[in-house]
Amino acid sequence: MDPSYRIIPTVQPQSASINDTAGTLGLHDTLQYGLRSIATETGKGGFENRLANWQETQDNLKLTMLRDLQGLHAPMRLLMERRIVSANPHMPAMPQSNIHLDILMGRDETLDPADFFLGMESGPPLNIHNEMEKKLRL
Amino acid sequence: MSSPGFNFSNAVRNNFLQEKGIPLPKATSTGTTIVGCLFKDGIILGADTRATEGEIIADKNCEKIHYITESIRCCGAGTAADTEFTTASISSNMELHALSTGRAPRVVTAMTMLKQYLFQYQGHVGAALVLGGVDSTGPHLFTIHPHGSTDKLPYVTMGSGSLAAMAVFESSWKPNMERGEALALVSAAISAGIFNDLGSGSNVDACVITATQTEMLRNFVKPNERVEKERRYTFRRGTTAWKTENIRSLIVSEDITPVSAGGDAMDIS
Repeated sequence: MDPSYRIIPTVQPQSASINDTAGTLGLHDTLQYGLRSIATETGKGGFENRLANWQETQDNLKLTMLRDLQGLHAPMRLLMERRIVSANPHMPAMPQSNIHLDILMGRDETLDPADFFLGMESGPPLNIHNEMEKKLRL
Repeated sequence: MSSPGFNFSNAVRNNFLQEKGIPLPKATSTGTTIVGCLFKDGIILGADTRATEGEIIADKNCEKIHYITESIRCCGAGTAADTEFTTASISSNMELHALSTGRAPRVVTAMTMLKQYLFQYQGHVGAALVLGGVDSTGPHLFTIHPHGSTDKLPYVTMGSGSLAAMAVFESSWKPNMERGEALALVSAAISAGIFNDLGSGSNVDACVITATQTEMLRNFVKPNERVEKERRYTFRRGTTAWKTENIRSLIVSEDITPVSAGGDAMDIS
């Protein structure tokens, strides 16, 4: 939890500029910083980052307010409950749902676009072994 | 965690092209005239029925007054898919919220849900809405812009025909109108949009919301009915004579073999 009243996710620095990576001759220093690429130089624009971090930022705002009004114990207990409930015994490969976590996060009574556009971005998992390793932190 | 609903795989390319000076293609804004007005017993919402796709009319009689709850409706201008989807999504959430609180849903709840959603998407969801309804606290009318700003007013217009409609409202609106008067005013405002704006056209839809009931007046006024053609363009029987007739069966030869000896019983041999 980050103690901040921010409503909107932070605007990340989007792109690398030649000023940061210039070597002695004023050109991009490949030896130190690697090859140039459009992805690092133009960047994606802040919109994707805004959407991805929106829920987390809103949640953080509420936790910060709770901390300032009721003391540190209030957000701490909530976060503890969430952590307990997130201990997930399931295999990462199969479709998962955590109703208890949804209830604690307040998602059980709302419908987001992500709820009806289920899994259109990724197909069946191809590397179950990698996912299990990540889960068990091998 | 979960996909936000937009596909960002072209974001880097688009950004790069924009920096080189190539402008992004403009999202076509569907022309519309939508209005809402407060009268003595509640709210009247009005909309035209034309949906455009660039220069072509995609739908001559589309429905722009969307259902949120029984006594709350929302007119949508802007990108048709965005208004459709946003209002449907908020309608679902309102129903869940009403079941959870056990109370009749309020217009401000819908307004807050809509404005938070649109603000989150920073104007990329092109939905300009007129939200109106009657709840336990009385009649309310709001307008919500694509970036998430809202206004609470006694009479509002949105869409490309909003200026024409607002001119009518500004000259004739007065508080505590009767139903007939208010309906005539709303029809006049939408008609002004229909006749003076290329993006709006076809018929006038209206929706009268009061504390006791909601009445949807679909195609309330039809000022653009297509005239019946003056001539008949069909050919009379016998215009062309036919010379020969040749009937061929598609089955050349057929040989039927019953598959199982037991008729319809399951074959467990």
